[in-house]
Amino acid sequence: MANAFVAAFEILSFGAIIVLIVLGLGIIASMMGIFNFAQGEFVLLGAYITYLAYAKGLPIWAGMVAAPFVVGGLGFVLEALIIRRFYAAPIVAMLGTYALGLIIRESVRGLIGGFYLTVPEPIGGSIDIGAMHISAWRFTIIVITLLVMGFCYLLLSRTSFGLRMRATLENPSLARASGISTPLMYGATFAFGSALAGLAGALIVPVFSLYADLGLRFLIQGFVAVMVGGVGSFIGPVAGAGVIGTLSAALPWIMAPVVADVLVFVLAIAFIKFRPQGLIAGKGV
Amino acid sequence: MPKVMGAVKQAIPAEIGGEAVAVVGSSGAPAKAAAGRKILPIVEGVVLVAALLAPLVLQDYLTVFATRVIILALFALSFDLVWGYAGIMSFGQALFFGSAGYGVALLARDLDITNIFLVLPAGTLIGLTFALLLGGFLLLGRHPSSVIFVSLGTLTGSYAADRLARGWYYLGGQNGIPSIAPMSLGSYEFTEGPAFYYLVLGILVVVYLFCRFLVRSQFGLALAGLRENEQRIAFFGYKAQHLKAIIFTVGGAIAGLAGSLYAFHEGFVWPNMVGVVVSTQVVLYVLFGGSGTLIGAVIGAVIVEGVSFWLSDNYRDVWPIILGLLLLLVILFRPLGLISFVLGERERVGSFGARPKEKRNAP
Repeated sequence: MANAFVAAFEILSFGAIIVLIVLGLGIIASMMGIFNFAQGEFVLLGAYITYLAYAKGLPIWAGMVAAPFVVGGLGFVLEALIIRRFYAAPIVAMLGTYALGLIIRESVRGLIGGFYLTVPEPIGGSIDIGAMHISAWRFTIIVITLLVMGFCYLLLSRTSFGLRMRATLENPSLARASGISTPLMYGATFAFGSALAGLAGALIVPVFSLYADLGLRFLIQGFVAVMVGGVGSFIGPVAGAGVIGTLSAALPWIMAPVVADVLVFVLAIAFIKFRPQGLIAGKGV
Repeated sequence: MPKVMGAVKQAIPAEIGGEAVAVVGSSGAPAKAAAGRKILPIVEGVVLVAALLAPLVLQDYLTVFATRVIILALFALSFDLVWGYAGIMSFGQALFFGSAGYGVALLARDLDITNIFLVLPAGTLIGLTFALLLGGFLLLGRHPSSVIFVSLGTLTGSYAADRLARGWYYLGGQNGIPSIAPMSLGSYEFTEGPAFYYLVLGILVVVYLFCRFLVRSQFGLALAGLRENEQRIAFFGYKAQHLKAIIFTVGGAIAGLAGSLYAFHEGFVWPNMVGVVVSTQVVLYVLFGGSGTLIGAVIGAVIVEGVSFWLSDNYRDVWPIILGLLLLLVILFRPLGLISFVLGERERVGSFGARPKEKRNAP
């Protein structure tokens, strides 16, 4: 019983981490049609900023709060300078963002060297429920993920900003004709997606420690999750992330980890092949 | 890319027009019409002569390095065929390269087969089979697959293979398969050096000529059409998905050949060889050199590898950052790669099929 509970918690917390990472990726892919290869590096940057705050003696949570804003700002600048040129061609966008990611990743590698740097958990210790202990920080991640998901959903569905964002996505020329500044909306969307990646990086760095390939590790899982969930809506990628995250965490409990690792990808690709629109089809929130 | 599309659409009629001028004015000035479009053979000739002379002027350890570059150029050729000509973004080309490498390494380790006439066809066949399976799955089907799905599908395939190779004890896990016996021909063993170099160069030239023939044929014309406007090609009655699957398989076979040569040249295979790192590396070569020209892929491989070899001694940390910046600049401002500095748009597109000129001139 206790074992099953711990397993369920592990699966849930890994699922939450994948959802957190995919949120930004999914918003950019759904709203802008761009598969951002630099997203993993935005996660890495968020983690790096948190580490910097810790190394400079600031409280860790200060770094965690700063990370989304700094990464979001960087995303806004990059969108205006570079990403903007790629909208017409999705493949070129992949290559361009890959180049951006390469620059960011290697710069961070140069800054931290080839090390694995640890950042302590801001909320340490464990929560005890009877005989079972679960990590307090992982529990916090789950809570924050739920809050961020709710926040994103409300932002997109209930605010005028979200309405304009969706209008820009659905019909850019009509949106422009209605007086919405579409370039600004694209910039804001990209910045928002980047900020979510920065937040994800900041939150997961105590769990995974900081190393240059931290972002790359989650990038392909993130892409697969977005495709499984379905591009075009907010909820699709989140659902896909839930499925992929749960599967990747659950399968190693019942079979050899190597087989499980590969099986998740094979299943996902086969699923997308036969259902290209993904789990949840259609546009909207 | 839209710029490219427009140019090609114009260039094809211009090409036919140019041919017509040459035919009509066969007694007049055909030389002038031909003179403007002779740069590509010159570039190819210069590269070939440079490659032939390289071992004579290079020191031994540089010849070994040059051999590796030639093998990678062969690999780049396979990607260029798939992306530059057919417009299929294969982000997992290393899957075929690496699986062939692993395949021949296992042949050499477990069955003691190192005969060149067995291992190279075996490697080619492995690459071909994997490409046929993956390409068939991703590209064929009732509904045409989106470009995004194909590129992410190949990327995922490569990543999954990397994870599998890392975790599978039989394949050596993280360390891969070390100290593979050298490739042999009778009692002769191909070890690193000029002989291996010329062997690889010969293979590259043969494969290059094969690809050149392929892309300048009617098949190549259909492929170029596929890249520019797939729907239009489908409306013309071509089976677009079949064409794509065929060229993807050919590309996989060439990648397999390159992979088996690489495994024997380096003497070991390791998981990165099937993974995302090598997959993206080959994309870099072709983008730098110029996609859609075969020689561009070769030049790209030589330049990227050469510069990184040269810089990695002193600027090991900075070089990948510079590479990323250069790549970004090329994508933004020179989408056709470095080759477009010397090669005009019209020549890049080239002419297709058998030339009617000789026939009409015959009495």
